[in-house]
Amino acid sequence: METQELLDRIAINVVQGRVEAEDEGFDEGFENQPAVIELVEEALENGISPSDILIKGLTSSMTVVGEKFETGEYLIPDMLASAEAVGAGMDILTPHLLKAGIESKGKFVIATVSGDLHDIGKNIVAIMLKGAGYEVVDLGVDVPASRIIETVKKHNAPYLGLSALLTTTMRNMDEVIDGLKEAGLRNQTKVCIGGAPTSQDFADQIGADKHCNDAFAVLDWLKAAA
Amino acid sequence: MITIAEKINATIPSVKKIIETRDRGKLLELARTQSKAGADYLDVNVGTGTGSRQDEIDSMRWAVTMIQEEVETPLCIDSADPDVLAAGLAARDGRPALINSTKGSDEHLNKVVPLAREYGQPLVGLAMDEEGIPATVTARVAACSKIVSTCAENRVGMDNVFFDPLVLPVSTDVKQGLVTLETIRALKEQFQKAHIVMAVSNVSFGLPERRIFNTAFLHMAIFAGLDTAILDVLNPDLMGAIKTAEAIMGRDRHCRKYARFWRNR
Repeated sequence: METQELLDRIAINVVQGRVEAEDEGFDEGFENQPAVIELVEEALENGISPSDILIKGLTSSMTVVGEKFETGEYLIPDMLASAEAVGAGMDILTPHLLKAGIESKGKFVIATVSGDLHDIGKNIVAIMLKGAGYEVVDLGVDVPASRIIETVKKHNAPYLGLSALLTTTMRNMDEVIDGLKEAGLRNQTKVCIGGAPTSQDFADQIGADKHCNDAFAVLDWLKAAA
Repeated sequence: MITIAEKINATIPSVKKIIETRDRGKLLELARTQSKAGADYLDVNVGTGTGSRQDEIDSMRWAVTMIQEEVETPLCIDSADPDVLAAGLAARDGRPALINSTKGSDEHLNKVVPLAREYGQPLVGLAMDEEGIPATVTARVAACSKIVSTCAENRVGMDNVFFDPLVLPVSTDVKQGLVTLETIRALKEQFQKAHIVMAVSNVSFGLPERRIFNTAFLHMAIFAGLDTAILDVLNPDLMGAIKTAEAIMGRDRHCRKYARFWRNR
């Protein structure tokens, strides 16, 4: 297959949310055709550069997925499938990218704050960030403020994402931001927050940089912040 | 889930007329619409209840030949008479088919199971014996065990057997829904490789809001182990109920089939 055709096929399969050949896509009729894993491997074998595969194949098409999600054509599982496909491609590409000396776009620490066990939205954000070239440190759910701050410090992370789905637990974001200030990290770490009860007003109130509605809003914010 | 489309059945008056008048066009229309709706098998039952046995044999040959000339979907050859089953199987021109059915009685088993072996096609085994449909789970499973023995003698593998636990209306005996569900569970436990097939709509006979009753029963049956349903594939409630159950049972990755079903409606 020609380089351009391969990259296009990878992009199409990301939009279809197909990790491997046996997966069915969003539309009918894709089964048993090569999907992201097979196509990324073929692209590497053909000598296409890992960064081209990443940018022109894997991540550019996530914009399409984002649009489809926004218009309601795609549902949560469709978006998850696409994010999974990007993640699978990334797993293959990462060692090649490292070898080629391509740097990640930066470390992004992400966590659901203390007392809160919700993780679906946080996981979607984590996968999408990984796909977009960030090095994601996912601390999971119910993470105490002290641990989040330690991790930011340890990795010297320029970005932190906090999630909470309850009105009672969103208050715990406050503690994280205060802790960052106390540790002298607030100026070097940009903080975004998300989760159903949160808002830009709330972000302003606790001194976070940004409130994001979904994973695509996080990517837009990062693009603007870079 | 495997779906078997129920509409080509001569106990329905309009279909009886199609069979008696050899109305090829209408027969094919029934076959095509059900095939397009996603049926995995088309049931073909030509027993009009009025003609002779030879009439039913001729009708089966005609129907199988006509449908297979035009439609790819495999047929479920349906008759209580082993000779009619044999005629349908011979007419099917080497294509896959499901033999529907045998009871758990010697006389019937000894004629139908050899057909499954001879033609190498799967068969439906009804959980009933010489006396009829047993009222208890134990007796229904016993009837199926008898089918298992005959299949073993004929070297018909369990993966080629579809057990039908049978369904009686809940309106006449309120315990019957549970008897069927527990029979499904027991059969699935004892004969893990076998399929379980059931006609859904009988359960709600004589009751209001049958579609709600039927879909609830279908969901419970799928949870208990049902993997094949004989149903009206043109009914979106039932087909939607199957997609719903598949998603809830974790058999529909990313809910693709469920979402696509509603998207395409």
